[in-house]
Amino acid sequence: MLVIERLVKDYPGNVRALDDVSLTVPDGEFVVLIGLSGSGKSTLLRCINRLVEPTSGRILLDDVDITAARAANLRAIRRNIGMIFQQFNLVRRSSVLTNVLTGRLGYVSPWQSVMNHFGEEDFRRALINLERVGLRERAHQRADRLSGGQQQRVGIARALMQEPRIMLADEPVASLDPATSHSVLKYLQQINREGMTVICSLHFLSLARTYGTRVVALKGGRLMFDGLPSEIDERRFKDIYGEEAVEVEIR
Amino acid sequence: MSTSVGTPAPASRLPREVDDISGRSARAILSRRDPPTVQIARLVILLISIVVLVAGWRVTDIDLSKLANAPNASRILLALVQPNVVERDVTQTELRTPYTVGTTGTGEAVATTATGQKLRVLPGAAKAGDSVELVGSGFEPDAEAQLRLDTGTGRTILLSRIPTDNRGGFDVEIEWPGAGTAPPGDYALQMLVNAPSGSLHISDTFMTGLTRMGETILLALMGTVFGVILSVPFSFLGARNLMGGSVVGMSIYSIVRTFFTITRSIEVLILGVIMVVIVGIGSFAGVLAIVVHSVGSLGKLYSEAIESIEPGPVEAITATGANRVQTVLFGVIPQVIPEFLAVTIFWWDHNVRMSTVLGLVGGGGIGYLLIQYIQLLQYNQSATVLWMIVAVVTAMDYASAAIRARLV
Repeated sequence: MLVIERLVKDYPGNVRALDDVSLTVPDGEFVVLIGLSGSGKSTLLRCINRLVEPTSGRILLDDVDITAARAANLRAIRRNIGMIFQQFNLVRRSSVLTNVLTGRLGYVSPWQSVMNHFGEEDFRRALINLERVGLRERAHQRADRLSGGQQQRVGIARALMQEPRIMLADEPVASLDPATSHSVLKYLQQINREGMTVICSLHFLSLARTYGTRVVALKGGRLMFDGLPSEIDERRFKDIYGEEAVEVEIR
Repeated sequence: MSTSVGTPAPASRLPREVDDISGRSARAILSRRDPPTVQIARLVILLISIVVLVAGWRVTDIDLSKLANAPNASRILLALVQPNVVERDVTQTELRTPYTVGTTGTGEAVATTATGQKLRVLPGAAKAGDSVELVGSGFEPDAEAQLRLDTGTGRTILLSRIPTDNRGGFDVEIEWPGAGTAPPGDYALQMLVNAPSGSLHISDTFMTGLTRMGETILLALMGTVFGVILSVPFSFLGARNLMGGSVVGMSIYSIVRTFFTITRSIEVLILGVIMVVIVGIGSFAGVLAIVVHSVGSLGKLYSEAIESIEPGPVEAITATGANRVQTVLFGVIPQVIPEFLAVTIFWWDHNVRMSTVLGLVGGGGIGYLLIQYIQLLQYNQSATVLWMIVAVVTAMDYASAAIRARLV
């Protein structure tokens, strides 16, 4: 269970990105974060694995205080939190296999990784996860030779190598076309159905309705809405996105 | 099929006429008038620039008339188009005959060789101001004969240079020089004829130049290699994106960058002079100069390459629980390898250019040869070396650009 208590994040220049956000996510939920650009979705996700240092507040994962963790401890905590990114964040020049194995670094001792040494167990996991995202045949290709959707699947395989407790996804399909978006989100859905908590920010409300078991909306760094996808009606939509906004049908 | 969120654009309304133009031209309305202070400041800057340029002209003694009236220029320019690349062996023929100076003689003095060359000097003795006829035959055509007076003390006095005609002979009259040049006494009259013989072959200058050029390229290579070894580890400490975030990190970053700047600010020729003092004349001094010169520049270029990587992969690898060393190994190094290689090849190319001048201060390489030829006024040989430098530097420049284009 993930518990976020009164989380605040201030960036330099008096910018309050998160303003007193509290949230409890029981195991097994597929939480979709929505909100305008700059509403604090990315900051919230990055506070959970401390890529961004919170200003105040607490985050607990299975009763372990993430916000209080120090360096060595933080490594162990980060291992339990997988993350995928809008721009996939693969090392473009490295092979797909190397990128996937990278997900195991939190478990490998630094000296072993200096020798570029991964164990048989790590390779076995890499094989399983590559198979899982359907990219086993691409293992030795350079990451940048793959299409966007394939790259995001490598990103998922890399995160799965960590054997995480929860999976964070920061706009995972914002750089993909609609058909590919569905294919990537289906992988996340499958992982979620196997029991992993997923917290995913999305731009498309229709995708949020299709895949989310719960929707959390942020506006100006504050929690605006927290409920079922079906509860977002016209009025709530305008609350979240502003009076000018309309849901646009795209082909 | 998918829905998204958007803000509809308000219906746009383009005005047909600009309101309130009151007859003035649009150019006048839109033209920018700077405030008087800005205009004055601009004028002051212009005046200062002119003063500085005039002062510079006077301080540096610029005198264009010297260019128009430069006696050595034509010799040097001529030598540049006649580099000493191929040559023939030169064989020297020598003829000798006793000769008395100080009296007006009669008859003739004759010198011959076993191979058929013959020199007749009429009359057989001479004093200052006499007209002396020199008749020669059997020499190489179009060669140059030198008439010398051998004092018998190991010193010879050059009296005249005589070209041979196309049949290998000559018949000239010279005026016997004064006592200042040839004091009265008994001498041996000596004639030396230098004639090219044998077939064309690559000149010794060219071969020496080639050897020295090879040495120069290797000097630059060794300097670059040690420069790379010393600068790569530091370059990671001099990259802001890796060191930022903590006071300790930023302190190390500042120290490393300052170190780079200091070693970079000393010119390679000055370093060469210093290293010659430390380890003596030779290529090793050149290598050391190149190493010190390279550490700072390579370090800076490498650091900048690291700073320009995509932050995304580093962020992603950090998120997996990797520590800093692992993040650098798997997130930074794979990204910077092509840029590092490109920088290194560019810098080797640059160091070859630097090495060609290091010889001027005793740092070995081809510059050492060049300065010797220049000081001996051997312009054709100098030209050979110069063209060799041009050829190698151009080739390196082209090759390094081609390799870099493939890497990045």
